[in-house]
Amino acid sequence: MHLSDPSHDRDPASVEDLDDLYENAPCGYLSLRPDARIAKANRTLATWVEYEPAEIPGKPMTDLLNVAGGIFFETHVRPLLRMQGFFNEFAIDMVTKAGNRIPVLANAVERRDEAGGLLFTRLTIFRATDRRRFERELLDARAAAEAARQQSEQLRILTEASLRAERETAELREQFIAVLGHDLRNPLASLSAGARMMLRVRSPEEAVKFEAMMQNSVARMAKMIDSVMDFARGRMGGGLTLGQRAFQALEPVLDQVVAELASAHPERAIEAHFDLGTPVHCDAPRIAQLFSNLLGNAITHGAPDAPIRVEGQVRNQSFELSVANAGQPISEKAMERLFQPFYRGEVRPSQQGLGLGLYIASEIAKAHGGTLAVTSVQDETRFTFSMPLAPPAL
Amino acid sequence: MSVAKRNNVRVRGSGPRAMVFAHGFGCDQNMWRFVAPEFERDYRTVLFDHVGAGHSDLNAYDPARYSSLQGYADDLLQIGRELRLENAVFVGHSVSAMIGALASLQDPAMFGSLIMVGPSPRYIDDDGYKGGFSAQQIEELLSFLEENHMGWSAQMAPAIMGNPDRPELAEELTNSFCRTDPEIAKAFARVTFMSDNRADLPRISARTLVLQCSEDIIAGQQVGEYVQKQIPRSELVMLNATGHCPNLSAPDEVIAAIRAFV
Repeated sequence: MHLSDPSHDRDPASVEDLDDLYENAPCGYLSLRPDARIAKANRTLATWVEYEPAEIPGKPMTDLLNVAGGIFFETHVRPLLRMQGFFNEFAIDMVTKAGNRIPVLANAVERRDEAGGLLFTRLTIFRATDRRRFERELLDARAAAEAARQQSEQLRILTEASLRAERETAELREQFIAVLGHDLRNPLASLSAGARMMLRVRSPEEAVKFEAMMQNSVARMAKMIDSVMDFARGRMGGGLTLGQRAFQALEPVLDQVVAELASAHPERAIEAHFDLGTPVHCDAPRIAQLFSNLLGNAITHGAPDAPIRVEGQVRNQSFELSVANAGQPISEKAMERLFQPFYRGEVRPSQQGLGLGLYIASEIAKAHGGTLAVTSVQDETRFTFSMPLAPPAL
Repeated sequence: MSVAKRNNVRVRGSGPRAMVFAHGFGCDQNMWRFVAPEFERDYRTVLFDHVGAGHSDLNAYDPARYSSLQGYADDLLQIGRELRLENAVFVGHSVSAMIGALASLQDPAMFGSLIMVGPSPRYIDDDGYKGGFSAQQIEELLSFLEENHMGWSAQMAPAIMGNPDRPELAEELTNSFCRTDPEIAKAFARVTFMSDNRADLPRISARTLVLQCSEDIIAGQQVGEYVQKQIPRSELVMLNATGHCPNLSAPDEVIAAIRAFV
């Protein structure tokens, strides 16, 4: 190469030595053959990767990259170079002969023939340890910020949920006190009336009659209190708890419930058919309570002139108990709230309970790993309880 | 959103059979730019971008759907059904070879022949199987990919997504063939490199051609040979092309091998 002013030729300080510029440039130079093997590298690059300059030509480019860098080179760098002819500012990790990682930034451009065929690819490489570390820190900081944001979002959702639960519980508690106060007043009033009348009895027969009436009121109050206790345990203590569970022959237990309700309602026909044949792992008094609630419900709401049909059987390793009554179907609107506490259908005030019967029955079903379902069509409403014969672990 | 728009489906050429080209991890359907046009005279060629790549609809990217290759295979089946493909040729590069395999298992009538370019049923080494990578190396890759956002930025996303054909955006579209939302790129890398489809191979009933490159660090020769051995009606052709993308680096060789096979 000739410079125009010959006087400069003799002044080494003013003449750039292009060979030296290539070899010892403050950046690495790499030229790749079309098969991505290295054609030529400058001394700077050879020094960085700790090879003798003569060792490098012929090596696959990926030999100078770590595994992640190699995958990136093959899936992004080479394709992109073929498609757009250049690829600037990409980060990649090189490795030294001893296996140490050198983070670099690179530009690459293809040298093509006139037909667009690839002659070779030139890469200019800058060491970028500090910059890459800084960028990594930025990425990490962004990830940390994102994690913190998600965490606070989660916290917000949790807080809202617990606030909502708190509000619901408060609402329930108020409802609970109101219903309890209201419903205990009736039997209490009849007890008080009974006591007053006791003062005026004229015969022992009359006293027995009043006593029976008063016992009836006491029984109603006792039942309400039991329900309230179950409700409080179930709702406020995170689910109804069961007593000792054991394998129980349930038929006598179910027969007993039918007998009790039949004697209290001699005017109603109950057709019960039990065919279990095998014991069920359960809390028997609770199952009796569930059944009593369902049967009582059927008596209260069913058509008075049609029998109530009860069936109990074992099928597919599960115990199934269904109680069906005739009468008006339950409306769709009522269906939605049926198993919620304090829900009461349309009945005469004297028959009204706390509206906890079906709620407690469904809680007992859940506690046994079972389900309580209802179907209601013209002329038949049927509640079906079903639970596994044995818990999964047994 | 139609399937055609979601996957940026491009149909060209004409012929009694269709030939579907599917790109792998990294770039988009432009990977086939030197190969697909060669078949337009004799075939109806179908190119598309996987959701999350190229000019697919990024809003259709559902992390749950695309958390396994099956989600991508389902997309391919939807494309095939929409185009009423029957006995078509499927050409899948890299991870798309397995996506095509999954689709053909579900609907064997859709693809009569599978051509797998640089396939791997599993990238991570396992007992008695050499995929080429350790789990730790793949983790390193996932973290490394974040550092090459390829010029992606939130502000640019709308331009990238909405205006593929506006030349005034050419400058901004630099690198666009291989660029996408970094989160999606990372998720696709994870699905790709964590996949294991070895058990699917023996069930493939389609005629299959495995094209194996020389010096492919991503899907090595032993992996290509493994794939060929596991698929009942298959053959393997070794290419002189080096690397993982012979469709770009040696299109003529790839075209010749496909022609000879179909």
